[in-house]
Order: sequence, then structure tokens, then C-alpha cells
Amino acid sequence: MLTETQALTLARWLSPAYPVGGFAYSHGLETAIADGHVTDEASLQDWLSDLLEHGAGRNDALFLAAAFRATDDAELARIDATARAFAAARERVIEAERQGAAFVRTEAAVSGGPDTPLLHPVAIGARAARHGLPLRPTVALYLHGFMANLVSAALRLMPLGQTGGQRVQIALAPLCERLAAEAKTGTLDDLSSTSFLGDVTAMRHETQQPRIFAT
Amino acid sequence: MRALFARRPGRVEAIVLNTAGGATGGDAFSIAAEAREGAHLRLTTQAAERAYRATGPAPARIRNRLVARHGARIDWLPQETILYEGCDLDRRLTLDLDPGARALVVEPIIFGRTAMGERLRAARFRDRIEIRRDGAPLYLDALRLEGDIAAHLARPAVANGAGAMASVILADPSAEAHLAPIRALLPASAGASLMAPDLLVLRLLARDGHALRATLLPVLDRLTGDTLPASWRL
Repeated sequence: MLTETQALTLARWLSPAYPVGGFAYSHGLETAIADGHVTDEASLQDWLSDLLEHGAGRNDALFLAAAFRATDDAELARIDATARAFAAARERVIEAERQGAAFVRTEAAVSGGPDTPLLHPVAIGARAARHGLPLRPTVALYLHGFMANLVSAALRLMPLGQTGGQRVQIALAPLCERLAAEAKTGTLDDLSSTSFLGDVTAMRHETQQPRIFAT
Repeated sequence: MRALFARRPGRVEAIVLNTAGGATGGDAFSIAAEAREGAHLRLTTQAAERAYRATGPAPARIRNRLVARHGARIDWLPQETILYEGCDLDRRLTLDLDPGARALVVEPIIFGRTAMGERLRAARFRDRIEIRRDGAPLYLDALRLEGDIAAHLARPAVANGAGAMASVILADPSAEAHLAPIRALLPASAGASLMAPDLLVLRLLARDGHALRATLLPVLDRLTGDTLPASWRL
């Protein structure tokens, strides 16, 4: 069970108010919208569902869980290196690297501990273990934060509307829960990335003009 | 499996021939190759590799292991792997680069014989490409597809209905110089990204094998300096 203290720690880490600058990253969504893959509420939900289940969502959950279970710094470094090698595009590394570094730096400043830069999911997993937080809700909130951040990006990029954005979040919440449950027993042997077009949009975003997001 | 060797200016080419024409349940194939210090080794295939309908509970297993020593270059340029309906293929490519070694890797995959209307409704494909430099992970790609693969590929962020896909990886100090010219060759269904100044990766999607080749050949021509093995042109 999640205690109230633990729930508030996770709420702090994974809320849009946490200073990792998540608002700057669209994970290729800006290109998916520009290329016409995402045009309305239904196609946004389908796209984000794919990213969660077949792309970065599920795989980040596995990296987070592996980092959570890591027993020493060397293992953590190996997981981080594997996550970097697994990133599909340069901007995918950039968003995970910058958010992870900001998270590690901030937490080290406010509650001590290591400040070695790690990719975002790896950093969250390592910190969650350090604070004795339960894995499953940590992963669920991480995935929900990832998804909600992309819904916020969509609100700025296309006609969606606040209630449309909330409907997408409600529709995708059960998927976040299921992926969190699966990550509990998953290992890095279970990695599988098949959001190929999602990868292509992340690559194409590098040269997109004009653009308002960093990724 | 057989291999024909040809000596070309500055390199050795090995053309691998699967005398069975493809892989099916219970088959186990493996290629192991090493490019020694300063050598240039290029591997390709005589024809497309076919993953036939599985005949039993065991998957066809392919395990390829490549090593490039200091100053060596290895090119892994197999032609397409064609997945047939009902196939069960478990494949793994491992490439170990010593410091100062270079590599060009391509893996084109065709999901079903689309020309005859084949769709993968019940098939299994597991693939993993692992490239390490000096023992550390440099590039990793893993995919697991099972069941109605055609329905999966129809998903918008997966392949939006594309029937063929290729990954290309260039680990070479010249990678950065190739980025802009290669981007100019790509349609909207393909992308290139420079992961590091010496690591270029591409992901290409296409309607079918024919369309994939149309995009892939100019890219490979550029990355091989117009020396793509003749078997690719047949």
C-alpha cells in the first residue's frame, strides 16, 4: 500500500510543477501533428496509446523497474547505458537526459544522495528504491505523467480543448495501470520497441521548421 | 548454409547462401565472422532470407555474431528477410566493436508476401540487434511481434499500414557528414538521426518490399561509396 507520505512524494516528482522542464518536450508529437498523423481527439488517443504500449512508455517502465531493483552503482550505470543505446533518436536521448539530470540534481540538493546524471526513467527508479517507495504506483504515475505531458503539448499544437484533453487522459489511465503491473515482473529481456513511425517522427522533428518544442 | 568469398579492392566480400532457401520450425542458423585488425569484411546474402510457416512448436533460431577488431570495418548487408504467414522466427544479431573499429549494418524486413496479398494474421517474430563498442552498449534494437502482426502494423504510430521496414546503423567517424545528404534522400515515412558524431541511425518504413528498396538502395549506395554487392541488383 502507498502511504500518504509516499503518494505526496510521487505527486511532487511526477507533477508538471517539478522543475525538469517537461513542457519543452513533445516526443515527436509536434511532427506527428504537422505530418497529419494526429488531427483530432481520437487520433491523438490512438497515437499516445501506441507510444505508451509499443514505444517509450512500456520500455521506460522496464528501465525504471530495472533501476529500482539495481543493487549497486555499476548495475545502475549499465542500465542507463542500455537505455541510451535503446533510444530511437537523438531527441529521445536529449529529453530523457535533460529531465533525468534535472531530477537527480534537484533531489540531491533537497534531500541528499547521489547526483550522478541518469536518464529520467532510470533516475526515478533509483530514487524510488532509495526512498522505499513501492514500484507499481511509481511506474503508473511516471507513465501517467509522460502521457499527460504529451496531452498538454497537443493542447498547444492542435484544436483539442481542455475537456478533450481530460477525456484522452481518462481513456489512457487504465493502460498506464496495466503497463505498471506488467513492469513489476518484466526485465530488460522483455524490451520491445515497435512504434516505428513514432521513431520516424522523432527523427524528422530534428529538422522541422517552425517548431515550438525541443523534441 | 554456404558462403562464397570474393576479393575486392581493399576488402573481402562473403556472400552467404542459405541452401534451404529459408528457415522454418526448429532450424538453427548461425553466422560468426570476425574482421581482424585493419581488415574490411563485407557480408551479404545471395537472395532474400525467408521465414517459412513454422512446422512445430520450436521457433527457427538465427544467431549471428560479428566482431570487428581495432581499425577494422565490417559491413553487414543482408538482403530482405521475408516473414511468411505462420512463421516463428527468433533472431539475434550481436556486433562487438573494438575501439577504432567501424561498422555498417542494415536489416530489411518484409512482413508477408504482400504481392500475393499475404497478411501476417498469426505469426511470431522476435528480433534483437545489439552493437557494443569496447564492451559497452552502443546501439540496441529489440522487437517482439506475435499474433495478428498485420493489425499491429496498421496502428498509427507503429507503421500506419506499412508492410516493410529497415533499420540502418553506421558507426563510423564519417557518420556526421552523411546526415544531411541522407536526409535529403528520405520520404516522410523514414528518418535519420545522429545519435553521436560517429553514430548514424535510420528507420525506414515502406508500403512493400519494392518501395523499401527504392528508398534503401540510394542510402546504401551512399554509405558504401557505390560498391553495394551485385547480388543486391539482381
